[in-house]
Amino acid sequence: MKLLEKTSRIYLLASLFIYLAVGIAFYWIITFMIYDEVESRLMVEKRDFETYIHSNNTWVNNSYFVENKIEVVPVVKIQDKTAFTDTLIYNRYEESMDPFRQLTFYTMIGGSPYRVTIRKSIVESYKLIEAISAAMITFLALLMIGMFVFQRSLSGKLWRPFYDSLAKIKDFDWTRNKKLELSASEISEFNELNEVMLKMSSKMQHDYKSLREFTENASHEIQTPLALINARVEQFIQSKDLSEGQTHWIEEIYHAARRMSRLNQGLLLLAKIENQQFTEQEEMDLAALILLRLKDFEDIILHKNLTVKTEQTGKFIKIISPALADILVTNLLSNAIKHNYPDGQLTVTAGKDFFIISNTGNALKAAPDRLFERFKKESNGAESLGLGLAIVKQICDNYDLQIDYQHVDSLHSIRVFA
Amino acid sequence: MFPESEAIFGADQFLEMKVLVVEDEKGLAESIVEYLSREGFVCEVANTFWQADEKISLYQYDCTIVDLTLPDGDGFNIVQTLKKIAAATGIIIISARNTLEDKIKGLEIGSDDYMTKPFHLSELNARVKSLIRRRNFGGNNDMVWKEIRVQLPSRKVFVNEKDTVLSKKEYDLLLYFLSNIDVALTKEAIAEHLWGDHMDSSDSLDMVYSHIKNLRRKIIEKGGKDYIQSIYGIGYKFTAP
Repeated sequence: MKLLEKTSRIYLLASLFIYLAVGIAFYWIITFMIYDEVESRLMVEKRDFETYIHSNNTWVNNSYFVENKIEVVPVVKIQDKTAFTDTLIYNRYEESMDPFRQLTFYTMIGGSPYRVTIRKSIVESYKLIEAISAAMITFLALLMIGMFVFQRSLSGKLWRPFYDSLAKIKDFDWTRNKKLELSASEISEFNELNEVMLKMSSKMQHDYKSLREFTENASHEIQTPLALINARVEQFIQSKDLSEGQTHWIEEIYHAARRMSRLNQGLLLLAKIENQQFTEQEEMDLAALILLRLKDFEDIILHKNLTVKTEQTGKFIKIISPALADILVTNLLSNAIKHNYPDGQLTVTAGKDFFIISNTGNALKAAPDRLFERFKKESNGAESLGLGLAIVKQICDNYDLQIDYQHVDSLHSIRVFA
Repeated sequence: MFPESEAIFGADQFLEMKVLVVEDEKGLAESIVEYLSREGFVCEVANTFWQADEKISLYQYDCTIVDLTLPDGDGFNIVQTLKKIAAATGIIIISARNTLEDKIKGLEIGSDDYMTKPFHLSELNARVKSLIRRRNFGGNNDMVWKEIRVQLPSRKVFVNEKDTVLSKKEYDLLLYFLSNIDVALTKEAIAEHLWGDHMDSSDSLDMVYSHIKNLRRKIIEKGGKDYIQSIYGIGYKFTAP
């Protein structure tokens, strides 16, 4: 939810609540005042009536008038009770029931007990209440809408620098050399925020740069001595009088150096992918790419006598670094071939937004979900580094690609999908 | 044309060819120089940017091997200077930087080849020779070793002047051997030469074995001698028996 929307909603909800509360309170106050007025007038009439009875000691019921009607009914016993009640009386001209407020009390007239009811119409008062209520509702609603619109436009204006900065921060790419630039605002909080963001961004750029330099320097510093070992071994094996033991040692040194070099390169590649150093991106069709790269493995497929089946049903378009796309498919293919039996099968199925590489091979010894972890390798052979699938996973993570592994008997399938 | 019977290929063709090695790691520079000198090249070393800069402005080289990361400068600048003042020189970059950007940049500014450290000296040797051959003879000369003759432009191989049909990999393998005569080559170096480094598995070593077997058979079938000698635990050597 957007900030503006959120504040608007809260404002709307709060004002609606207040609006209702004020409306109800107002209604009750007006009703109370009208009743109070009517009742005090009824009390005055009661005093008038009592004064009249006191002086005349008789009453003639004249029931013709609808309003200000005084009804005197004889009763058996006098009660010491005075009460106000609401009642409806039939209006014979308008043929409607009109609301009345009545005061009932008991008194002695000419020595016998009577119940006296004085009534007063409150139909006019009700009309008044309606009119006042309608006016109030209209004005309050207008006020509320006005406030709402004002608050909205004010918030929009106040938060503008914030949204400007936000858009700029979103566009900011710390892998590039361009510094983050934020415009100053009148509001000091936003300026403070901008300052903090600027500091953070330049720190990020700096850290990223030094990390990048470090990985590159580390690569160089390690690869150069390895190159020297390699070169010296190559020179050493040229000598004609090597004993079998010496040959064995030199072979081991050579393999260890090569292994270390490849480990170094693999870990560096992983670090670079993690640091998102592959910034150049293109729209690639991974389905076509995997079938293209399969051709590079022709020799080894022929050598292992693998039966290859391919099927392409659609395009797997992805915006990805071409170098990483290559590494992704090459690693998976190489993996499927390396762990295949001689005379085994290799199936590549590619279609819209997915590809599946299936190969025959020995059952996994490790848990399948740990397959994509670093240094989790199936064979203990010196050739296997245990980085290939970790690199694949890292590339998939970086580009929001899903990857899963399934196996049926001796058929292993790795599926990559968007 | 050289007489067929003698060992004229290898050292002789590149005799007195001058190579400059620009590499700050002294041991590595020394290794390269020793290895290439055996092949008949005359090598000089520059350990710093300024030494290299001085040498290329004073002397002519047939080939320059340049390391990109030097303590006092960038190897790319040497390549650019070379392109300006000595366009005939072949340039091979050797670098620990293996990013695509560096490789593309290296080739764009005019280097002929780019090798990532660590590399095999036999591979470097083969590439230097191939580069000089391309530059000096336009790739049009034949490679001749005893009874084997390789017609480079048409990729044809003759043993005792009999046409010998080789597969693409067998041809590449033969060329690699012919560029490294009398040199012990590791199985890994051969595999990397044939398939690049992404094929690093025990399978590729088996494949090397089967390709060598086939190449050997095809040469012998046409009446050639068996020049491919196995070295236990290490690899192979192409040499006169």
